[in-house]
Amino acid sequence: MGFTIAEKILTRVSEGGSVHAGDEVLAKPDFVIAYDFPGYTDVIFKQMEEDFGITKVAEPDRFALFIDHMVPAATTAEEDLHQLTRDWGAKNKVPVYERKGIGHQVAAELGYATPGAFVVHFDGHISQLGTFGTLAIGVRRHLLEAFVKERIKFKVPETTRIDLTGTLQKGVTARDVFHHIVRVLGPRGCRGHVLELGGDTIDNMSLEGRQSITCLAMFTGAITAIINPDARALDYMKPRARIDIEPLFSDADATYTQRHKIDVSALEPIVVVPPSPADTRDLSEVAGIEVQVGYLGSCASGRVEDLALAADVLEGHKVKDGFRLNVIPTSQEIMEIAAERGIITRLINAGAFISSSSCDYCFGRMGVMRAGERAVSTGTLNVRGRMGSPDSEIYIVNAAAVAAAAIEGRIADPRPYLKG
Amino acid sequence: MQNLKGRVAWIFEQEDFDVDQIVGVKNIKIKDPAELGRLAMHAEEPDFADKVKPGDLLVGNHNFGYGHPHYPPMIGMRHLGLAGVLAESFSPGYWRGEIAMGFPQVAVPGIIKAVSRWDEIEIDWGTATFHNHTKGTTLPIEPLSDGDRLMLEAGGLVGYLHARDNEEATG
Repeated sequence: MGFTIAEKILTRVSEGGSVHAGDEVLAKPDFVIAYDFPGYTDVIFKQMEEDFGITKVAEPDRFALFIDHMVPAATTAEEDLHQLTRDWGAKNKVPVYERKGIGHQVAAELGYATPGAFVVHFDGHISQLGTFGTLAIGVRRHLLEAFVKERIKFKVPETTRIDLTGTLQKGVTARDVFHHIVRVLGPRGCRGHVLELGGDTIDNMSLEGRQSITCLAMFTGAITAIINPDARALDYMKPRARIDIEPLFSDADATYTQRHKIDVSALEPIVVVPPSPADTRDLSEVAGIEVQVGYLGSCASGRVEDLALAADVLEGHKVKDGFRLNVIPTSQEIMEIAAERGIITRLINAGAFISSSSCDYCFGRMGVMRAGERAVSTGTLNVRGRMGSPDSEIYIVNAAAVAAAAIEGRIADPRPYLKG
Repeated sequence: MQNLKGRVAWIFEQEDFDVDQIVGVKNIKIKDPAELGRLAMHAEEPDFADKVKPGDLLVGNHNFGYGHPHYPPMIGMRHLGLAGVLAESFSPGYWRGEIAMGFPQVAVPGIIKAVSRWDEIEIDWGTATFHNHTKGTTLPIEPLSDGDRLMLEAGGLVGYLHARDNEEATG
């Protein structure tokens, strides 16, 4: 009986022999990652010292802290929290990365997504490190365990394998592919599983597209997503990898709890209708709904190809008067590339408002909506109140559809803007 | 671990239920347990907090806790004395978060059709069985993993880690 990549990674980081789904192991994460957020990092730092008498972590290079929420700070309490994080990092010799972008993306840029590594965070969107063959899992407050113990108790998850086939139409993106997966499998189709992705669509997809899909795994019920690393992933990560380990791959005879094959060649742009992250429709069903706000960014979307696609849609057009289009590149590195390529200039000329990278537009700290307003968004989530008033609404779409809505002031098919 | 025994205080019939709705999204940043307890289910039933008593249990449908679950709703429920959640199945992130708080969560396939509100029910950990004493029915429960059981026995994550400290010191 063969092994999945997830089983091999958990075997690598556990004591004893090979492990299969269902086994309970004590696993040593290669990296323990967190962003500072009230109730999480501040509580963990306090509990470490007060409940466990730990004043210094043993292997500081295994830890990484990001300051990406509440950036820039709007209150002194927020800046106090950031200072607490910086001080804790300095005392423990743990790196603190700030103003570099959204941590889940920057973690990849900085090589924490070493192929074959096991990573934990409290936030589930860390799943996107799976793009590089890294098993990265959000464990919520269990993260304390990884701060006070070398090993965490972990049940080896089952794996659902999805093979995606077909070439995407112009104006249809990885984002649509993910929401289509939710449409096909349902919001609990992979409940508790690792979602392993493959097939020719993935093989031909950029790393950015793969990050977009793996980022959102939780909305299928999965605990993470992973892709067996190919040359593209390995080439990207080779100069960045932080530890010297061999990449791992699923065996041909690995055991999967479920296998699905999904053809995406006929896929159209998708809209996820509020307030459920699983209410997936073809854009044509909801075209025409008036929207006042557009958000292009987040750890799921907002990378170079998303920005370029939005600029292509907006080419020769202007953002409609009164429409608020916020574009926030996922990281500073991405912003720099987009600037060098002239994409930022094109977006500005079309009327977009561009900010430096931050998580704040995604969770309703910045760029908020009033009651009764509606947004098109590439953010992670469309639940009530996520981007302002509980009586505002968020329609999740791809980057091209945000741009099309910004031109027309209503949900609109971006494909006509991409012809020629 | 002591059996859970109490009344069905509420049945969440919606599948993929987002627990933030228990206190309402606009109240999700409130930290005071008493205030959260007062707000729990208030929009559905203004006197919910007065009707429940310590030991009562909540019942949910499939994939209970889907979405981006936050901690305040169940902080409020625990303040009211609610002793656990029994559901057809749970969203993994929600499950993990509440087990870390020492709040029992039990997967009981078939429960949604097996209970009415205020039925007297019980979880027998020893036999891994759900009993509805009012209706005289039983169902098997899904056993807890060792890690989850140890965490509940220790009252949550901090207690569990201390237990491991002791084990590692003597082992």
